[in-house]
Amino acid sequence: MKLEELACLVIETADKVGVDFMAVGAIAAGAYGIPRSTRDVDLLVSVAVPGNIERLIGSLSPEVEFDPQIVFDTATWGRRHVGKCQGVPPLKVELFETFDDPFVNSEFARRREVFIPMLQRSTWLPTAEDVVVQKLRWGRSKDLDDARDVLAVQGPETLDMDYIRGWCREHGTMERLQNALDQIPPLD
Amino acid sequence: MSAAPHPDPAALKALQEELYAEELRRVRAMTESERLNEVFELSDHQFGMMLAGAMHRIGTTDESEGWEEVRRWMHRLDRTHDHGFYATELPSAP
Repeated sequence: MKLEELACLVIETADKVGVDFMAVGAIAAGAYGIPRSTRDVDLLVSVAVPGNIERLIGSLSPEVEFDPQIVFDTATWGRRHVGKCQGVPPLKVELFETFDDPFVNSEFARRREVFIPMLQRSTWLPTAEDVVVQKLRWGRSKDLDDARDVLAVQGPETLDMDYIRGWCREHGTMERLQNALDQIPPLD
Repeated sequence: MSAAPHPDPAALKALQEELYAEELRRVRAMTESERLNEVFELSDHQFGMMLAGAMHRIGTTDESEGWEEVRRWMHRLDRTHDHGFYATELPSAP
């Protein structure tokens, strides 16, 4: 199964099950920044309706088998479910649960619907500003590169920098934001 | 550890910045849909390259053996990338 086939399967299943979600990770970063390869289809899934995530996980079986062990990211302590795609290549699905966090609630409320030609279907993405804030918050090397690339490709002049700065202040990531902005070369 | 050796670090930095700027100009000229498509194209291409590399590395012409090696590589990469970033338990309350 190719990555686009897995993305189609996951999005179609989420729609069918009636789960509110948005694509995050490399797909969201690639929409606004420099596209990079990935082996994951990552979704942020609303758990406002109890049992949502379990229904989605159950419906993706047997094509995607999820590890029963839930893990937490140590930046926000959000819950993550990891599923392995059967067959080759060894692709993964990562489902992140929404949780009671002001930024997560904000980015989810601001998500936008986007048509992806290669998938021949629409999906939901965070805004470019929210990708920057989220990536700076997580702060791993690839996250910081993604944040810088989104800022550079979109251009700070086209982004709502007050919104970005507001959350970065809240998250204590202003220095990371400044570092990312400082790395953008002159393009004229 | 110092940066990669180069007879002229300033020239190297300028070259790196110009390459990055060139990539930014290319990507800025693309539509959002084109960028999204490229994520999938790059990913498919990368797996093809990894399979070829794995088969060469373990000296096989059997694709299934190659994919097993790719799977092993990806597992190691995941462990490296995720190290310290994920936990299986919440921290105990203070």
